[in-house]
Parts: sequence; C-alpha cells; structure tokens
Amino acid sequence: MSTRQEPGPKVVVIGAGMVGHRLADELGRLAPHLEVDVLGDESYEPYNRVMLTELVAGRIDLAGLMLPLPGTGRVRVRAGTRALEIDRERRTVVTAGGDFDYDLLVLATGARARVIDVPGLRDGLPRGVHVVRRIDDARDIRAATLNASQAVVVGAGPLGVETACALRHRGVDVTLVASSGLLGRDLDPAVAAVAGDQAESLGIAVATGAGVASVGVRDGRVDAVHLDDGRVLPAGLVVLACGSAPETALAAEAGLATNVGIVVDEALRTTDPTVFAVGDCAETPAGVSGLVAPGWDQARALARSIALGETADLPAIAGAAMRLKAVGMSVVTMGVRTSTALPEDRVVSLSDRQARRHVELVTRGDALVGVTCVGAPELASYLSTQLDRPGMLPADPMQLLMGAAVPAAVESASPTTMPASTTVCRCNGVTKGDLVHAWDDGATSVESLAAATRATTGCGGCTTLVCGIVDWLQTTDPAPVSQTTSVVREANVPAR
Amino acid sequence: MTATHCPYCALQCAQAITPGDDADGRVVVEPRAFPTNVGGMCQKGWTSADVLTVPDRITSPLRRIPSTGSGSGGASGGGARFEPVSWDVALDDIAARVRAIGEQDGPDAVAVFGGGGLTNEKAYQLGKFARLALRTANIDYNGRFCMSSAAAAANRSLGIDRGMPFPLTDLADADVVMLLGSNLADTMPPAVQHLGPVRQRGGLVVVDPRRSATARLTDEGRGEHLQLSPGTDLVLMLGLLHVVLAEGLADADYLATRVDGLGDVRRSVAEWWPERVAATTGVPETQLRRIARTLADASPHRGGRGAYLLTGRGAEQHADGTDTVTAVINLALALGLVGAERGGYGAITGQGNGQGGREHGQKADQLPGYRMITDPVAREHVAAVWGVDPETIPGPGVPAVELLTSLGQPGGPRALFVHGSNVLVSAPDAQVVRRRLTSLDLLVVCDFVPSETAMLADYVLPVTQWAEEEGTMTSLEGRVLRRRRAIDPPAGIRSELEILAGLAARLDAPGTWSTDPREVYDELRRASAGGRADYAGISYERLDAGEALYWPCPDEQHPGTPRLFAESFPTPTGRAWMVAVRAVGPDEPLRAEAPVWLVTGRVLQHYQSGAQTRRVPRLNDSMPRAYVEIHPVLASRIGLDGIDDVRITSKRGSMVAQARISADIRPDTVFVPFHFADEGMVNAVTNAATDPVSGMPEFKVCAVQVALAASTPGGA
Repeated sequence: MSTRQEPGPKVVVIGAGMVGHRLADELGRLAPHLEVDVLGDESYEPYNRVMLTELVAGRIDLAGLMLPLPGTGRVRVRAGTRALEIDRERRTVVTAGGDFDYDLLVLATGARARVIDVPGLRDGLPRGVHVVRRIDDARDIRAATLNASQAVVVGAGPLGVETACALRHRGVDVTLVASSGLLGRDLDPAVAAVAGDQAESLGIAVATGAGVASVGVRDGRVDAVHLDDGRVLPAGLVVLACGSAPETALAAEAGLATNVGIVVDEALRTTDPTVFAVGDCAETPAGVSGLVAPGWDQARALARSIALGETADLPAIAGAAMRLKAVGMSVVTMGVRTSTALPEDRVVSLSDRQARRHVELVTRGDALVGVTCVGAPELASYLSTQLDRPGMLPADPMQLLMGAAVPAAVESASPTTMPASTTVCRCNGVTKGDLVHAWDDGATSVESLAAATRATTGCGGCTTLVCGIVDWLQTTDPAPVSQTTSVVREANVPAR
Repeated sequence: MTATHCPYCALQCAQAITPGDDADGRVVVEPRAFPTNVGGMCQKGWTSADVLTVPDRITSPLRRIPSTGSGSGGASGGGARFEPVSWDVALDDIAARVRAIGEQDGPDAVAVFGGGGLTNEKAYQLGKFARLALRTANIDYNGRFCMSSAAAAANRSLGIDRGMPFPLTDLADADVVMLLGSNLADTMPPAVQHLGPVRQRGGLVVVDPRRSATARLTDEGRGEHLQLSPGTDLVLMLGLLHVVLAEGLADADYLATRVDGLGDVRRSVAEWWPERVAATTGVPETQLRRIARTLADASPHRGGRGAYLLTGRGAEQHADGTDTVTAVINLALALGLVGAERGGYGAITGQGNGQGGREHGQKADQLPGYRMITDPVAREHVAAVWGVDPETIPGPGVPAVELLTSLGQPGGPRALFVHGSNVLVSAPDAQVVRRRLTSLDLLVVCDFVPSETAMLADYVLPVTQWAEEEGTMTSLEGRVLRRRRAIDPPAGIRSELEILAGLAARLDAPGTWSTDPREVYDELRRASAGGRADYAGISYERLDAGEALYWPCPDEQHPGTPRLFAESFPTPTGRAWMVAVRAVGPDEPLRAEAPVWLVTGRVLQHYQSGAQTRRVPRLNDSMPRAYVEIHPVLASRIGLDGIDDVRITSKRGSMVAQARISADIRPDTVFVPFHFADEGMVNAVTNAATDPVSGMPEFKVCAVQVALAASTPGGA
C-alpha cells in the first residue's frame, strides 16, 4: 500500500452526476490513497438530479441541490470539464483542458433525455420546449412559467407527473399527455387510474389514449401540441418527459461494447478490464437502471471492489422503489405488484377510489416483497421499512395494512365508567380504586385525596381527573361511608 | 426539617426531610416548592426514605470469603459470601494490594469507575484520587452511558456542554418543544408541568419509536408523535433540515452572523429529500414537512414564540449518537434558536448529578472545570491547585466500554474501584462485563446496598446516602444545588471523602485530602476557576442564602449564567460551528435470525440499575420484573397469548421477561426496561458497539429474535 506522499493509483470518473459523485465519495472514504478525478461536463458542482422537479416547483433552491464535496482522500471534482475522447492505448481521457491519465476508468456518463421524433421537434427544440435533465433545463422551465399560462407535459412517467405537479403548483394550466396511462410502467392499469384521479383532482388535465402527432411552432416558438386523435392543446410551454437513453457515445467511439447501454458484467466491468461503467449509462446483466437507488448501490459496490477487492454484489434493478416527489400526489411502489406476482404469492389490496387511494401488498413465503401505495403516504412510509424483512410478516398479511399506528382500544377517560384498576396518577401509581378506598377512609376532597394517596403530587396532570372522580363520588356517595366498612365496592358501578 | 433535593434523577426535585420522631423513627420526605419540580414529586421521590433503612443496607466494610477452589473475584456473585471487617483492615489491605499491583504492572493497572450520581465534591475528589493517589490514567464513569454523545456534540458545535443552557422554566414560553428520544413523563414526571403551556398551544412534538407516556402527551391535539423506525433519528433530522433549507425557512441573518459551516451541512442534507427520509424512517413526508414548517413558524425570525429541541438517551445512545445530536444542533442553529431569547437546544441530563459529574474530572480525558487533560495550561492550573508538579498528572485514559472490556486482560487493569455505579446491570453486553469484572485481582465497590456489582467485589465499602451527607449537585439546567444532611448515617458507615482520604494517606498521595465537603468544594471552585464549567463564584454561602446560581460563575459578585449564547459562543471564533454528518444507521442490521429491533429504556418506578428502587417495596411491588412490550401483530406471529414469558435473544446473549402486548410500539420493535438483573437483564442482549467520538454504546437499538420462553431452551 502506498503512503500518503506517493501518488496512488489513478482513477478517472467520467460524469459528475449522482452516481459518479457517490462513487468518488466512497472511494475517497475507503481508499484515501487513490488519486480520483471526476470529470463533469456541466459547469455546476455535483448536484441532486432527483430534485430537479422540486426546483421547478420552487420547493427548493439551487444551493439546496448541491451534493457534499468529497471531504476525504484525494478526490477532485472538475466541473465544466467535458471528456472528448478515451484513448485506451495510452490510458488517458482527452479534454479541452488537458489529458487525464488513468489506471482505472469509470464511465458514469448517465443518460440523455429522449426527444420524440415528431414534426416540430426534428430540427432541434423550438423555444418553449424543454427536457428535464439538467439544472439549466429546470431553470429554463421555471423561468418560462412566468410567461406561459398553458403548458403541456409529454410523458406520464414519474418525471412527467412530477413536472406536471410542479407546474400546477406554480399556477400554470397543465395538460399531461399520458398515451399509456399515468405512471403506466410503474403501476398496473387499475392503480394508474387512481393516480390519474389524484392528478385530475389537482387540476391537471390528463390526456389519455392518444400520442403526440406534432408540435406546432410559430416564429421559432412552440404554440401547441397536436395529438394523433386530432386534439390540439395550446401551449406556451412544452416539457418532454419521454424517457431517457443511456449516454454511450464516448464508450462506443472508444470501441467498448455497447447495446442499449454500455455493456458490463456482474463486476460492472466493460469489455476493457480497466474500464467500468455504473449508473444510467451501464447495461448490466440485469439491464439498465435509470433510477438513482440502484445506481448508488452500483457505485458503492464498485467502490468497495476497487478499494477493498470485494466482489461486487449487485442489486436487482427490477422492482427498485419508485417514490414520486410531486406536490400534492403520493405514489410509492416497490418490488412486486399484482401483474408481476407469482401464482403462489399472496396479493392483498385495498382500493378506495372515492378517496383516490389504493394500497397493495404482495407477500412471498415469509416476506413482504411488494408494496404499492397511491394516496397513502403514512402507510407507504411504514411499509417501506418492512419490505424484504424475512421473519417479520404478520400471521395475516392483512395486518400490514394497519401500518405502525393501530389506535389502541380507547380506555374510558370518564371518571364514572373507567374501571377501578385504571391508573389515574401515573407519577405515583394511584388507581381509581385507590382513590375510592381513600374516599371511603374519609378523604373526601382533592386535597385530602392527594395527602392520602399522593395523586396529583407529581406532574399534576391528573388533577382534572381527580376532580372529576371527586365530583362523581360526591354525587353517588354524598355521605362518606363508615371507615370501618370492609365491603369492597365495585368502583365502576355507581352506588345508589 | 432539612431542605435538600431528591437522590434520584437530574431534575433534582426539592425535598423537605424531617427525621422521624415517632416510635418507628421513620424519616418523612415531602416535596418543596422549587422552580424545576413546582412542588411535585414522583413515586420514587416520595418513597426515597425507604432506601435509608433497607434490610440489606451495608453498615460495615465487607471482605469476600474466598470460596474453595476458585480465585478471588469468583465466577458468579450468586453464592458470594462476605465477612465484616474493620475499616483499618479493609483500607490497609486494599492499599497494600493496590501498591503491589502498581509496582508490578504500573499505575495504569489500577482503574476507577465513577458515577453520575456522586456529588460534585465526590466526583472531584475521585478524579483527583485517580490522578494523584493511584497515578492512573484509567478513570471513566457511567456518565459515558448517559451524556457523552450530547456532550461531545455540544462541545464540538457550541464550544460548551451544559445540558440545558437555559432554565427549564423557559419551556413554558415556547410555541414548540420537540423531544427526541426522551420519555420524561416516566423518567422525571414533575418536569411534565413545564410542557403544559406548549401543549395548550398544540406544540409538543415527540420523536420515539414507542407511543410512550411522553408521546401520549401529544394526544388530543396537544402536538404530534413521530413514531420513527429505531435508529433512524439522524436521518429524520437530516430530513427536517433539508425541508427547512429547501423551503427557505432558515434564519438567514442568524446564520450569516453567528454560524460557520452551513455550506457543507447544506450539501449533506441535499441527499435526504423527504420521500427518501420517509422510506428510511417510516415518518411520512407529509408529517416531515409539516413538522419542519411548525418548527420554523415557532422560531423567532418568523415571529414565533420560540422552539426548543431537546434530546434524551433515545437519540443519543447510538453508535452515531454524537452525529445525531449534531444534526439536532444543526437544525436548531438553522432556525436561529440557539441563544435566542426563546428557544434553543438542550440535552435532558439523566442521572442526579449527570451534569456536575461530567465536569470535574471523572471523565477519562478531563480535569476539573471541564478542562481537557491534554491541555498544558489546564494541567498547570489544576496542578497548582493540587500542589503538585503538572508532570505527575497522568494523560488521558480510555472511555468506559473500552475500559471495562480491558479489565483483567493482558495489559489491562487488574484492580478496579467502583463508585456510585452498578456497572454490571447498566453497561452493554453484560456477559462480557461480568467476565471482565470477575477476572480482576481486586474489585472494590463503594455502595450502600449489595448491588449486583458489589456482589462480585473483593471489598464492599459502605457509604452514606443523600439524606446523610452534605454536598452539591448540578441539575439538568446547570444550576448548582445544595444537598444537605438531614439525619446521621448508621454507625460504621463512612462518606466517600473519608474513604478516599484514608486510602490516599495509605498510598502516600501528595496534596490535601479533606473529608469536609465544604473544603473539598472550595478546592473544586479554585480548580474549576477559568475553566468552561467555572464554579469559582458559587459558594455554599450563596447557595444557602437561596441564590439561583448557574455556571459559569467566575467570581462571587457574578450573578451566574442562566442562559448561555445570548451574545456569542465560547468557541475560538465566537461563532457556532455546524458540522456536516452522515447517516450510517444501526450498527447491527436486521437479519432473518434476528428480524426484530430491540429498544431499551426506563420505567417510572425504577432508577438506573434498580439497585435502590428495587429495594423499595412500593416501587418494586408495582414493577417487580422486567417486561417486553410487544405489538399484537408480532405477538400473534410468535403465538403469544396474553402474559406469557418471552425470550429475547441477540448474538450476545438472551433474557426472559413477561410480555406486555401493546399497540403503543411498532410491530417490528420490542421494548424492554433495563433496570433489572438476572434473567430479566436486557443489557445481556444489547450491543456494545460505541460511538467513535463519544464512546457511547449503542444501547438503543440492536437486532434480536423474539420467541416464547416456553418454546426456547434457556441461556444464550
């Protein structure tokens, strides 16, 4: 192992997005001797891309997106440094500002937004049409809402729905073009319909059953979206949220195998053993992820494999959790759902269309393997903590629908009907029965009951209740019974 | 009638003690009006006099009778037999053995374990005894299990550690009080009175995996309960700060003028957006946002009446406890609360003198006045007060868990003095602690009852109780209080000051060893002068005259400091320091063989290890055993029907207690109070992983298996 003075092995990471950033951060922590250069083509320091729609909504400002700067190790993040070419012979990455030699190279180039191939969009995006991929996109959209009163969001995946909600939150009239239903890739149709109800309840018009035929452009600026069923949606602002495609160009030019994404093996290695790929750009044996959580898991696994020599234990991509971050809507889905459940799985669902709510659970063997919650954020957060925890499944999975908070059977708080065993004064462990006995022994005021039993002498929280018991005893038992009485009276049965 | 304060928790309820003049001679204890307890007292306080006369009170030094076949220390305290010996015999032998061990293996082979219940005078003298008489670096105390995370975080961010840097009565003015992992309705019931006004305003927020007695105080619109997944407090705080910063709710002026480090902290919370926080903590993002806004609206810069964020052991007793408290402080700083006229951050100190006990030299790395033992200036000052060469003061020792696990090991201490602590019950991973204690060559325990730890000792030295002694205690709000002698101790008992003086003389220790609490205290004042916890101006005379004195109080004309931070922070820059922290999560993850979280805590009837309260009939009758709080859903899964005994098992050990089925706990979590010994000792199960900064063990969460006791074999 090299000392701190000698330069350690050089790792170059192309891409300073969330996954590239996480990888560099983990490397700095696990292997402080490594020289790590992270090349980012945006002029911003690494930021939280997942929050871009929150930036549109105005629920966060730009500074709030910036991710922690790697604080340990020899990690340098080079913003505004675009990788132009990978020279695998010389093991160097070419940029306008010079070459970066590497011993190991990691591609974290991410994905680019897909632009649908329709008239109006073929010669570059006209003014007023945006994708949502980078900070500048989100800032442009936010600026556009100042002038545009009508917007169309094309694509009803999580990004489209979040964007539509964000625009609606800013007071813009929004139509969401959802040719295959709202969140169709994440939700089964019946559930998607409930999500659609939610969106409509926010005042978002959802256009289903039709795709985009063309985008109307006047003087280089968008003015409408034409659907293929003939509908025309006037729009001063159009946001394309039509999915993304892995950014593979640099890898392909360098002669690395690419398919949908950059092809990697279980160890995230490309066809060149010194080059790896992680995140949205990588096509693992399990597929392309497109979500941040599996990307972060890959980054962690690769960092441990580079730093510690551990075998990368890759997370599954299918069934990765989707949690919508949309003002006014709550949709969470993770793991298996009705349409992907096995025949032997148990599927428990609760649908409450009127309340725009749907909850669905899938259990397999002794574990909860799938959760879908629409309009039920409390349950969703609880169930998120229960997924894939063998040994915790209730005897009846239906009980999971109760969540963490099952209201306890309400104990009677009435001095008349509460049982004698009920504790009145917690601080001193005094029950209603103790008070009744003290009353029978002649303590017939709050003060004398306090002296006899110490009730009310701790935090005083039971004073009202003790007063109530005194009132009750006075009405039911105006004359204190003889102190010699040995009859035990049922405290919850008023005496005549 | 003698005016003093309760022997138990840090609330230090004011008591009036009247020696019995009736035939039974029973001592009468009643509450006194005082700002903290407002005339209230809980069941523990009301019955505190019972401990004075427990049947097994020790009234003579006891020496273990070596059992045939096994060496000193014995394998178990169960069959231990002791014989009474005179004080001279006991102290002579102890001193001789200490001297022999020291000559053989060096002074660090003798260690000291103190307690947060000792008076300031005793805590001070114990630290001095370790450094000057034993010449050992190895001293630490059970406060490491209480306040160390909060202390480390407050020192790091605010430059000082005073549990509550404001009087408790200030809470009444606030719009919001947020309690993180504090169950004060059970641990210090009279304190609940201070929450009354904020509850009237609907502003009590309780963060706890259980719907505890304190969480129930939020019912009926009095506030909100956040029933998070165990061990996720830090993530919850990151999420709240995320919302505060994202929605522009922070106090920008305050941050600009009084705080450094915001940039890194802002970045650190960028990764914790509400939906992600919800999935980790189980607290819905809707509630998270609502609480963040409620806190902001309560903050002075937005016109609120103030907000207080208070942590208890639930948030602190984690392997990331220091960082958790740091995240709470970061939130308080972002809202401009710390040092505001109304609002702030505070840690709710647990033990009676948990505050003073951590200021005067019981901690491995500290000298009196909250001075660092590594600071040459501090060493010089204290050495001058002690009348020794600074070089003779040893360097820093190791924190409690490390100290305990090194006992009897090669290179570790061979002798241990225990004062004011029942460490066998109160330390994590108790099986290991038992093995370590029994492997010592010499264990000396000062106690007034035969606690579980005392039963393992070679010598048990009987000491005075609160009503039998003079001294001072520093309460949870940093106010110094007088403990006063109301009755004479039984014949044959000595105060710890007398014991330490006796041993110091036999060990030819330099310096003076007064047995008069007032003289020791006056020396403490000089030793603390100029330190962070400066007691120089707080005299017995001023306290006895009724002055309310909060440290720091540098001279006798100084009025004391009820509220810290109004102008600046005692840091090198005068500004508070926000420290970016990372969420790591529980040290021990769940797994198929241990799929349930165990959380531990306290019940109203018992105090700490229960050595005192389990001996009080009225308390013990209402809570004679440990119990396992378990949700009906988990109960039905394991086939639990009613009140059967259940066994809790972790990698480290197991315990058995009766089940209490309750919907107040999460279905994935069980709760067990830790005050009990033998098969009900939950610390046989807890995780001894410690916080890298504070040394705090992870008492509050570990992974366990839960099963019917009847269906499982005994033992681990």
